[in-house]
Amino acid sequence: MPSKQDSNDDTEDVALFDAEEETTNRPKKSKIRHPVASFFHLFFRVSAIIVYLLCELFSSSFIACMVTIILLLSCDFWAVKNVTGRLMVGLRWWNHIDEDGKSHWVFESRKASSQESKTVSEAESRIFWLGLIACPVLWVVFAFSALFSFRVKWLAVVIMGVVLQGANLYGYIRCKVGSRKNLTSMATSYLGKQFLRQIVVEIQQCRGPVFAVNISFRASPLCTPFSPLACNLCIVH
Amino acid sequence: MRSRVREFDSSTLNESVQNTIMRDLKAVGKKFMHVLYPRKSNTLLRDWDLWGPLILCVTLALMLQRGSVDSEKDGGPQFAEVFVIVWFGAVTITLNSKLLGGNISFFQSLCVLGYCILPLTVAMLVCRLVLLAELGPINFMVRFFVVIVMFAWSIVASTAFLADSQPPNRKALAVYPVFLFYFVISWMILTFTPQ
Repeated sequence: MPSKQDSNDDTEDVALFDAEEETTNRPKKSKIRHPVASFFHLFFRVSAIIVYLLCELFSSSFIACMVTIILLLSCDFWAVKNVTGRLMVGLRWWNHIDEDGKSHWVFESRKASSQESKTVSEAESRIFWLGLIACPVLWVVFAFSALFSFRVKWLAVVIMGVVLQGANLYGYIRCKVGSRKNLTSMATSYLGKQFLRQIVVEIQQCRGPVFAVNISFRASPLCTPFSPLACNLCIVH
Repeated sequence: MRSRVREFDSSTLNESVQNTIMRDLKAVGKKFMHVLYPRKSNTLLRDWDLWGPLILCVTLALMLQRGSVDSEKDGGPQFAEVFVIVWFGAVTITLNSKLLGGNISFFQSLCVLGYCILPLTVAMLVCRLVLLAELGPINFMVRFFVVIVMFAWSIVASTAFLADSQPPNRKALAVYPVFLFYFVISWMILTFTPQ
């Protein structure tokens, strides 16, 4: 009896300890540690988009709007590249020219350390990636709409927006993915896994005798998980 | 964009924002000084950034406006025109020099060409001031002289940086588009008359 009670107490103690640890850790991970940086990360991008959309209402001068948008886009590019990236998610990318005059692009990410202040918080990471991905997509949409509605005078500004924000997006994705794997091999292996998973599902669903399924596939970007080719493999004996 | 030789430790990863801003501002200022006193040095090429070209391009485009800025049919297309001429011209010259076998990178070339617009921007400023006086042949001669001097300064400054990156028998082929680029900008400055 006492041993059972002891073991009960032990498990209870362990469970309580775990719950306490979780509740003390969770606020720290989701707290925003750099509120000013988070604010500015979103402020320049969103205000550039707002000025572009509402320029007709704000002022009748095309030049004032264009200069404002250009200045906001440049400030946003500099801020995201040099400040908010390293403060919010610990990533950084830059260009380095060595003694021979050759240029190298360097993508760096901060190593996970045991210090509490250096870990990345969830909320900041979400804000960072949301702002980083949503805005270039919007600028691409604006580019198409300017092109097809023949408002060509805005095309210069919109292309600048696409280029600057797309460059930041590409740089940070490469930092995140790491410089050892490149993006093509990552995409290929992901699609390959999807294809294999689909084949396994099809084989399991097939009724009839399947003696040997000789699967040799080379993942190519043209394969999709929904291709009818996966079904045909079931019939191979 | 800018490049800098950084050590792979956390010294610049954790620096304060004010340090970053001051460092970048000092680098831009140093390059402006290099253009004003052109010497053969590698600083413009090693640490490139595109802030100077952006500021100069916007200033030049604003000064080349015709008519009042607040009217409905204002100088919108002209502003975009100057922007497109400067940036598209710089990209074309860079492609040309790379195709000729130069060992300069894309952004370095854009950086040099953009910073060497500084003398022509000063010429534009002087021309606008001179145009406040009465128009006439003397007015035109003064402006012509100023623009020619600044045009020569731009050419000298940019070839001091760019010519070394080409193989020796191709230098003239690489410098000639630069000459054309600054000639077009000087022409826009010289033929500018406010309404």
